[in-house]
Amino acid sequence: MKIRTTFFATAALALLAAMPAAAQSAEEFPTKAMTYILPFDAGGESDIAARFQQSVWNKHTGQDVIIQYQPGAGGAQAWSQLNDIAGDGYTVMGINLPHTILQPLEGNAGYQTDELTPVHYFHYTPNAIFVPSDSEFETLDQLVEYATANPGLVTLAGSGSKSANNLGQMQFDQAAGITTTYVPFSGTGPSITAVLGNQTVGGFNYATSAMAQGDALRMLAVASEERMPAFPDVPTFKELGYDIVGGAYRGIAVPASTPEDIRQRISDIVSEINADPDFISKMEEGGFVLTDIPYEEMPEFVAQMKEEYTAGAKALGIGD
Amino acid sequence: MELLGYFLHALTPLNLGLALAGVVLGTIIGALPGLSATMAVAVLVPFTFAMEPASGLIALGAIYTGAIYGGAFAAILVNTPGTPSSIATTFDGYPMAQRGDGGLAVTLATLASVCGGLVGALALLALAPPLARVALAFGPPEYFWLAVFGLTLIAALSVGNTLKGLIGACLGLLLSMVGVAVVGGDVRLTGDLPAFLGGIDVVSALIGLYCVPVILDLVATRAAHLKVLADDQGYRLKEAAGIAWRSKFNVIRSSILGTVIGILPGAGGSIAGLVSYTEARRASPRSANFGKGEPDGVIATEAANNATVGGGFIPTLVLGIPGTPPDAIILGALLVQGIKIGPQLFTSEADTVYTFIYGLLIATVLMLPAGLLIGRYAYRSIISFPKALLVPTIAFLTVVGSFAIHSNVHDVQVMFVLGVIGWILNRYGFQPSPIVLGLVLGQIAEQGFVQTYLIGNATGNLAGMYFGRPISIGIIAAALLSLCYPFYAEWRARRRNALPLTEAAAEADSHPVEPAPTGAAAVRVREQGAIVLGLIFVALGFIALRDTVGISPMGSIFPRAIAVLLIGLSALLAILALAGRGVRAAPPEAAASGRRRFLLAVVFGLWVFAIPLLGLGAASLLGFIAMMFIAEHESQSSTVWLRRAIIAAVVVAAFWLLMSRLLLLRMPAGLFF
Repeated sequence: MKIRTTFFATAALALLAAMPAAAQSAEEFPTKAMTYILPFDAGGESDIAARFQQSVWNKHTGQDVIIQYQPGAGGAQAWSQLNDIAGDGYTVMGINLPHTILQPLEGNAGYQTDELTPVHYFHYTPNAIFVPSDSEFETLDQLVEYATANPGLVTLAGSGSKSANNLGQMQFDQAAGITTTYVPFSGTGPSITAVLGNQTVGGFNYATSAMAQGDALRMLAVASEERMPAFPDVPTFKELGYDIVGGAYRGIAVPASTPEDIRQRISDIVSEINADPDFISKMEEGGFVLTDIPYEEMPEFVAQMKEEYTAGAKALGIGD
Repeated sequence: MELLGYFLHALTPLNLGLALAGVVLGTIIGALPGLSATMAVAVLVPFTFAMEPASGLIALGAIYTGAIYGGAFAAILVNTPGTPSSIATTFDGYPMAQRGDGGLAVTLATLASVCGGLVGALALLALAPPLARVALAFGPPEYFWLAVFGLTLIAALSVGNTLKGLIGACLGLLLSMVGVAVVGGDVRLTGDLPAFLGGIDVVSALIGLYCVPVILDLVATRAAHLKVLADDQGYRLKEAAGIAWRSKFNVIRSSILGTVIGILPGAGGSIAGLVSYTEARRASPRSANFGKGEPDGVIATEAANNATVGGGFIPTLVLGIPGTPPDAIILGALLVQGIKIGPQLFTSEADTVYTFIYGLLIATVLMLPAGLLIGRYAYRSIISFPKALLVPTIAFLTVVGSFAIHSNVHDVQVMFVLGVIGWILNRYGFQPSPIVLGLVLGQIAEQGFVQTYLIGNATGNLAGMYFGRPISIGIIAAALLSLCYPFYAEWRARRRNALPLTEAAAEADSHPVEPAPTGAAAVRVREQGAIVLGLIFVALGFIALRDTVGISPMGSIFPRAIAVLLIGLSALLAILALAGRGVRAAPPEAAASGRRRFLLAVVFGLWVFAIPLLGLGAASLLGFIAMMFIAEHESQSSTVWLRRAIIAAVVVAAFWLLMSRLLLLRMPAGLFF
């Protein structure tokens, strides 16, 4: 009898403690710390950008944000569970393009592109091609010339299969009429290590990947529309005559059950941080390109990206 | 002397306090299986934004090193590695604890961890830039062979029963390939369940395979969990120091191995521990005692895994390439602080870097008093807890730990199912360790193998890529040595049968080791369990083969090869068993209550699968109380039960609050809480 009383008393107490805070208006949001889930391991581009956001998050919202990592299946593990999370706005998740378009195209990803709810895409990292600084290749032309003469001999390390890097490498092969061998690694870190250690001829990574390596790597070309402020000496693929523009967009998504006003509010928070001078200088120094695609422009943006990447992927045999 | 100035800077009260607090917090988190250094560091990073960079780094580094060390407690006391780094600590630490040497094992682990940590940190201090080159010299073939080297430990772990060990390794390797392949991007072996896309989490598998059998066996008998010597001598620091001093070469070799493996970005503490364990076993005159409670096994693993902390910071700080996930988070924290990583860091930010390294050294030394106190407390609680509380508490910790990895109930269910399968397999002589080794090393082996193939094929030099590189040749030689050594040692022992090994005899006097059941193992029988299991594994192999039809060669070559190997080995096992040449596993202990064990497994299963319905807290409270009754062999007064019910509620509430309020994990939204 006594045991039962104790049990129910404890249960009732714990129940009380666990009650969700009463519904609140979007203007006051957030009133407690938020959780920001990254579908990747620590140390990659998503993580560093999120940490930069985290360092000014409190300044803009009055609340902290906690970053958690849920790596698995190139992000698909976390994205396939996004909509199971309570849609109170306090849990948000990093979201990436083209990952969230290419993975469902392949089937079996556990989610569809349209089931995810991005509220803001805040930055972009273009693809870039690297060689170690002691490499014989000083320019992209030399590399292309060598690859033309020796089909398949040029090995390029990149992050993951059927990823933004992989897609970029395939487009490069097509545009230059060459055959290179793409060697997938489990992330940016391991693939950059392979390039630095001369395990491969070069790497097809993001422009940000080599920020920490200083002079040890040479960037031959970057897949952005124009030269990047952080790397004024690096030519774009376009300048060199290859029509390749691509890379990865990163943003923040919420569970589908999140109310409209909270979605808008989170989008506003991210926009506000994107305008923070501190944040801007850190991001630009790191080689990230800030974009500002808020919630209201999202449907149009995603539709356009979907069209572009689906066409690109089809041409390269992904998603057949 | 500039360096002295940095040292004094590391000794400020704030930095000292942060180092101590970090080590204590890290040790506790590391001791709880599933709660990892990565998690603790990730949650605490924002607090360091407001600190000076060096102080923030010291706090994070102290937590990290403490967590790697704390993993030994769970390994020694409940046979469950608190972190993957201490897998090999269970091999000898738990047998030591079972025979009453738990206090000694904890002290030895502490001494070894401090030594290993110091060697790693000193290497970081003195030799970081040249050592960073090691990270670059290791390419895909070297990682492949390193994983193979780790797998050779299976031969040593399953002497007398090699076939079952190899089958276990194949099962583990297949488990490691579930999900999306990193190389090739194919989806494999998921049974079309999206929940398995991310694969089987190593930590939840570790908890299940090692801890669930302990819980099931604990409830079956009246005997105490760990034997307590009548004259419990506390820390036994002097004795431990004596053993460590006699094993100084082991300590140094393991620390250096740990430092070097820590430098490799793709390897980490688990491989460092396993490789050092293999080497210590090979070099030891008492190699037959390894796996039965040999102190050198604990020393080798713990020295190596703490050495990886300092080693891992070398590529992180010099090359900007994080050695391990906690390193990656610390790297992010540095970038937020506006510190440029890279070769110039040691000169441009000398103040921060050297203050941090000295702080790490100080934190490592502080592990000695902090660890001994916490370890003593943990040991005392484990041996003084009544079974009726110990069983549900350990069960609850397995649930908490496997849930915390990804805030995902799926991991808890995988943990439980693998645990029950592991227990059944263990009864038929399939030990969990080969399965775990396969699971831990499978991904590294596969990625290295396929990447090597891609590069070798592109350059038309396949054989040279696999077998022609100097470091690869060295690792292959070491692997062959450790593979053949157990057979050589057996042969030598047979030859010298008449001459007893004097060292072994002397050692046996001071640390009595259970004699190996050589007589029982030699009996060849017609083993029915092996026939049935062999046929099941053959079927599993064919299912795996069918599942990998039609995916790219990159994603299918490795799982198909393993599946074929599994089919062949399992068929051989079944045929041998049918022919009456099987090796029967040790019979289950007498006076064990199968009924209690079965009931406990049912309650545990209900608990785990009720979490999504009731919520983690409510399901755990009910499961906890039910297990309390199952685990009690005597009749107790209602006052005792009331007290235990209160303890149950307090334990569940404390962990629920820790997870939801401190670690801010997303709790499953069930009916209650």
